Amino acid sequence: MLRFLIKRLALTIPTFVALMFVTFMLLRLVPGDPIEVRRGERGISPERLAQLRHEMGLDQSVLKQFWDYAWAIFHGDFGTSIISKTPVTTEFFHLFPATVELSLCAGLFAVILGVPAGMFAAVKRGSVYDQALMTSALTGYSMPIFWWGLVLILFFSNMLHLTPVSGRIDLVKYYYPQPTGFLLIDSLLSGKPGAFADAARHLILPTIVLGTLPLAVIARMTRSSMLEVLEEDYVRTARAKGLSPFRVVSLHALRNALIPVVTAIGLQVSTLLAGAVQTETIFSWPGVGHWLIASINRRDYPALQGGIMLIAIIVILFNLAMDLLSGVINPRVRHER
Amino acid sequence: MSAESANMPVIGKPVAPPGPFAAFWSAFAENKGAVIGMVVVLLIVFAGVFAPLLTPYDPLIQYRDAVKLPPVWVEGGMWSHPLGTDPLGRDMWARIIYGSRLSIFIGLSVMIVSTFIGIIIGLICAYRGGIFDVIVLRILDLIMAIPDLVLAIMIIAVIGPNLTNTIVAITIVFLPRYVRLVRSSAQVELTKDYVTAARVTGVRPLRLMLTSVLPNCLAPVIVQAALGVSDALLEAAGLGFLGLGAQPPAPEWGSMLADTKDLITSNPWVMAMPGIAILITVLAINLMGDGLRDALDPRLRRS
Repeated sequence: MLRFLIKRLALTIPTFVALMFVTFMLLRLVPGDPIEVRRGERGISPERLAQLRHEMGLDQSVLKQFWDYAWAIFHGDFGTSIISKTPVTTEFFHLFPATVELSLCAGLFAVILGVPAGMFAAVKRGSVYDQALMTSALTGYSMPIFWWGLVLILFFSNMLHLTPVSGRIDLVKYYYPQPTGFLLIDSLLSGKPGAFADAARHLILPTIVLGTLPLAVIARMTRSSMLEVLEEDYVRTARAKGLSPFRVVSLHALRNALIPVVTAIGLQVSTLLAGAVQTETIFSWPGVGHWLIASINRRDYPALQGGIMLIAIIVILFNLAMDLLSGVINPRVRHER
Repeated sequence: MSAESANMPVIGKPVAPPGPFAAFWSAFAENKGAVIGMVVVLLIVFAGVFAPLLTPYDPLIQYRDAVKLPPVWVEGGMWSHPLGTDPLGRDMWARIIYGSRLSIFIGLSVMIVSTFIGIIIGLICAYRGGIFDVIVLRILDLIMAIPDLVLAIMIIAVIGPNLTNTIVAITIVFLPRYVRLVRSSAQVELTKDYVTAARVTGVRPLRLMLTSVLPNCLAPVIVQAALGVSDALLEAAGLGFLGLGAQPPAPEWGSMLADTKDLITSNPWVMAMPGIAILITVLAINLMGDGLRDALDPRLRRS
């Protein structure tokens, strides 16, 4: 196990170095003078330009600059936003809980609906239900989610007035300290009546929009995995000894059918973060995706650089954790070459 | 031998096996959804190619006397503009069908370039192995560590938003799947006896890889390529929606949506059209791709 752990960790190091190199190059390659790009100013006088160049270490060799950049990152310095002049990490982790809360809800939504739907379709293979479910799943898989969000807003917010159009909570009514950044928890802690319901209402549409693609993937995956397992001998044995069909499917078959599904769920983190960029833009959800797009529109390249670096690190660490976890659960994984 | 028996079918007479294409087609045609998908895709391609014949309007010209016209089935709609007009008075039907040109162009370009590069790099990785393989795999890991849209955004930030750069960015984002697919299938093929036999007879590496190994790896690549078109199209529309893809006034479906998202209450149909176009196109390609997968490579299941 230790060998597996070390090997897996060692594999992430080159990826991490390459990631630093790519984000380092980002700031050097964006159009415009590097100092103007970094300071967000235009028309700086030549003397000041030279001084700034020296201050920022741009007169050093590229290698030295890269080393300084890497050194800063190892000390938790991911640069400073040129608009707000605050460190990128501060901005990022202030907004990150909003993205996590949304992604978690979307992931739960996808799993809670997707697994039973896939099971049901597999058991009723070839029936009308199966066809209807799988057609819906393929439609969900093909859905442009930015448009899906607008359609849902049109029906539920504009026509039926059931859900709010944007934001996380009605700040005028329910302004309160946000100790955790997760509004579902904070609103309960605040003790104000109606706050939790309001936060939940704001979450409904973004959750559906962000959860649609993972829902479709999980439902299709569960169905195909279930179909395979239902052919196995042990399932036939369980049936032959007279267990109820429900018991066979939900206890015996499901356990093994879920193994590939769990792996697929782990892979959805990247999908969720990419989807969060679009979902947060539609719903003005104050998370990191919305902030990333805002940064690019403001030409705040240092923020973009730091933000991308942080998102990639989170995905790498998450995938690493999933790999280690599967190594713990399934010893065969450890001994692959 | 009597005349009667000469006319009887002889038992055991070898029937010519169906050719590879006929075999493929009968498997593909079994899947009704796939055939429907293929028909829709052909219609969309047809509409894109013959767009000037299908509408008298130019997608960029603004008809100031017909601004914000609803589609013909809504009260106030006119047959002269069947899907209505946008807030600048441009004909929606013209924009949608000219837009299919852009979307299909993006989807096909990304697919062709990434399949081509993917096959070359994948084959080299499988054949050479060693340090080259390790380096390529690490780079692919990096590309896959960054969520696809975020990576595309980053590339666009460097090279600037326009149609060509959309294609470049999405090609880079999607390249890892092709390389990995070709690499792993080629690795399996390289262990087989026919490859050893070919090597022993002195077939040179290039010829070996291209004429013996590659054809046996193609089935999953074709499936991935077909489904890759729809993914690329969706990704391009997403970038367009964020303002980072094809730039206005080009009738790109994603950027058309971005232009109209503020009109959601006043003119919902202007917002509806491009989205429906994207959904139908992507769905049709995916239906077709699923059928291709079942026909070509039943073992390959996409989640």
